[in-house]
Amino acid sequence: MADKPIPLFSRVVIALNGGSCDNRIVRIVVEAARPTKSEVVAIHVVEIDWTLPLDASVAERSESAQRVLDSAEAAAEHLHGKLEPVLVQARDVGAAIVDEAVEREADLLVVGLPYRKKFGGDFAIGRTVPYVLKNAPCAVWVVREPMPAEVHA
Amino acid sequence: MIGGRRPLQGRKIGDRRVRVDRPHSPYFRYTGLDTLSAKESTLAPTSATGRAIERTRRLLFGRRLSSDEEALERLPKKLALPIFSSDAISSSAYAPDEILIALFAGGVVALQFSVEMALAISLMLAVVSTSYRQVCRAYPAGGGAYTVARENLGQVFGLIAAGALMIDYVMTVAVSTASAVAQAYSVWPALYDVRVEVGILSIVIITLGNLRGLRESGNIFALPTYAFLGLALLLIGLGLVRAVTGQLPSAPVPAQVPVPGTEAVTLFLLLRAFAGGSVALTGVEAIANGVPAFKPPESKNAANTLTMMAILLGILFVGFMFLADVMGLRPAVEGGGPTAIAQLGSAIFGDGTPLFVALQIATALILFLAVNTSFNAFPRLAAILAGDGYMPRQFAFRGDRLAFSYGIVILAGIAALLLVVFQGDTHLLIPLYSVGVFVCFTLSQVGMVRHWISGRDSGWWWRSAVNAVGAVLTLTVLIVVASVKFAGGAWLVLVLIPLLVLMFWFIHRQYATSARELALRPDQVIAPPHRAERVVVPISGLSRSVVQAVNVGRTISSDIRAVLVIDDHELATRVREDWARQVPGVALVVVESPYRALTGPFLAYLDVLDQAWTPDREAPITFVVIPEYVPRHWWERILYNQSTNQLRRALLGRPNTVITNVPYRREEPTVFERRGQLDGHEPPGERRS
Repeated sequence: MADKPIPLFSRVVIALNGGSCDNRIVRIVVEAARPTKSEVVAIHVVEIDWTLPLDASVAERSESAQRVLDSAEAAAEHLHGKLEPVLVQARDVGAAIVDEAVEREADLLVVGLPYRKKFGGDFAIGRTVPYVLKNAPCAVWVVREPMPAEVHA
Repeated sequence: MIGGRRPLQGRKIGDRRVRVDRPHSPYFRYTGLDTLSAKESTLAPTSATGRAIERTRRLLFGRRLSSDEEALERLPKKLALPIFSSDAISSSAYAPDEILIALFAGGVVALQFSVEMALAISLMLAVVSTSYRQVCRAYPAGGGAYTVARENLGQVFGLIAAGALMIDYVMTVAVSTASAVAQAYSVWPALYDVRVEVGILSIVIITLGNLRGLRESGNIFALPTYAFLGLALLLIGLGLVRAVTGQLPSAPVPAQVPVPGTEAVTLFLLLRAFAGGSVALTGVEAIANGVPAFKPPESKNAANTLTMMAILLGILFVGFMFLADVMGLRPAVEGGGPTAIAQLGSAIFGDGTPLFVALQIATALILFLAVNTSFNAFPRLAAILAGDGYMPRQFAFRGDRLAFSYGIVILAGIAALLLVVFQGDTHLLIPLYSVGVFVCFTLSQVGMVRHWISGRDSGWWWRSAVNAVGAVLTLTVLIVVASVKFAGGAWLVLVLIPLLVLMFWFIHRQYATSARELALRPDQVIAPPHRAERVVVPISGLSRSVVQAVNVGRTISSDIRAVLVIDDHELATRVREDWARQVPGVALVVVESPYRALTGPFLAYLDVLDQAWTPDREAPITFVVIPEYVPRHWWERILYNQSTNQLRRALLGRPNTVITNVPYRREEPTVFERRGQLDGHEPPGERRS
């Protein structure tokens, strides 16, 4: 009799930013979650600047924000998996991601790291990834975008 | 949650966030700018009856498939051969019977020509398959007879090919099913009496399978073909060895063999046998139709598979006929006698042996596969024709399982009808089969000759010569088949093909006319409307549904009036009093109808309004806002809205008139109760129409 697979995680929060990493993150996580039927929550945070109230009607009117989650949901279904899409407005993206992971008692948090081609090319580490790495209450996976050399290889 | 936004506090004091509700999410998905894609949940039934139907539908046909789930499977040659060749190879199961039956009319002496007949047909097969190799190369996107004829010979010949193909597919289902059942009752004779029922049952099963989205793919479909090929080649091989060693037994003569005929062995008799046996060529075109399904290089792989198929079919056909000749086989055509292949199997493998039973089962299965080929091809052709405007558009719609449901059901229905009419007799069905097939062959080959000549690609002259030889030969066979089988049923096909072409043409003309009428000129810029609008609300009394309709009408135009057509003067007076008090500001016109008709006087009133309009101004748009009571249960529909439906039908097509239905649901009275409009009052009497 085959051994039952040991789950890598039981509930994972994946942070999507509408960039090129999103598809990769969804694919990796959904494929990892499928055998153990682990729960996948996809979160997209719309950053609200200080000129607007936090609860301003921004995210629900933004088709692009809805599309980020809808694409992720479609990609998961294509892989015969499921995810719960969550749309959030916040002043700080990193804090919102971590707070969602805390509230949902996630045991894994996945964020993407894009590769900027300008100025010779480098990974744009930004503010969000370091914040998540420092403050997340669980394991964090950083999925980096492939470098051009890897894509062409 | 306030207005779909839920404020949440984070771990740190300043870390607040708002979770935003996504109301579209359960039903739609954004796929692009201003583009929504509907989810399966939008199709979920809301009533208990609907849910019960949905459950049954799922049980029968499976879950709904989205268009994204369709994948074109690329087939390697080893899988493509059995999948695309089942139709052609399976015809070797009934073609020998046709030759033997035709020759037997000339007595035992005529049967000596059976091998020569098989060789002549094999030569024909070689020519046709070589010609179709050219089609594979010229049409890598799939070169069905319809495509080739339409592109090279024009619309009329394309439609003739389409009509012939449709008949061909229907006949494939009927003939292959009848023959499969015949293979079964060759082993279990008791099945003969229920052959029509068994045939129809098998058509029903294969129809359900196809409505569920059964595809010609995978090893499941390859297995029966290879099993048949293996067993048939073993049969021929064993038979040849025994023939060489002199151990080949004579075939036992079944009880169902009729008395040998006494017809003279004439050219006509031989042509009749040739025409009967030419049914072996049916299905040869399937590979040329399905070139895109092959692995790259598609054309080359398809052409090579076609050659392989022709060689195998030739070996089987000549092999069966040779053994039949050597063993002195007689066709058992009466009362459910065994087929030729069953007689060979029982003599060589031994009657009732596992090998014999396996051969018969494999033969029946490959014939069912041939049926499935038609179930894939017919709906696809009908969909292409519908796309080109030659068939009703619903044939292009795909059902929940991505299958062209209309085409599948129509094909099954006609094929089942043929089985009943011809009592499941393969021999009686065959004359209807060959004509359509050879019409397609001929048009396809002639089309290819035109293709090569007009294209002038390298080697065009010899390529066109190959197709020209094919065209001449297939045309000759077509003439032979049509003449010798004319009385046997070929006349029906010769009548049906022009009728189908007329039907295609008629449908196309209808669609073309309506498209012309609906078309906008590309340079036309549509300005906002500037015509006057007026609202007329036909009423039968004063009620909540009427008030709701009047309110909707008020949002359309301030020029609004209610029209009460009535034959009861007293009731009219009462309604007028109530109306003035309860719906002030809206004119009520009472049209008394002493002849008790409602629709006629109402339409006449609208005409009068039109005539009274100032002639120097453009005619206004009249919105007829009809209050409609929505019953809670399906059975209540009989009780309500009969006059409304009648009025709506009468108004359809009236110029400058828009019909607006305003449904009122009995479950929603709260809006009136909240406003207190009817508080303390009994609802005024209304004649529910």
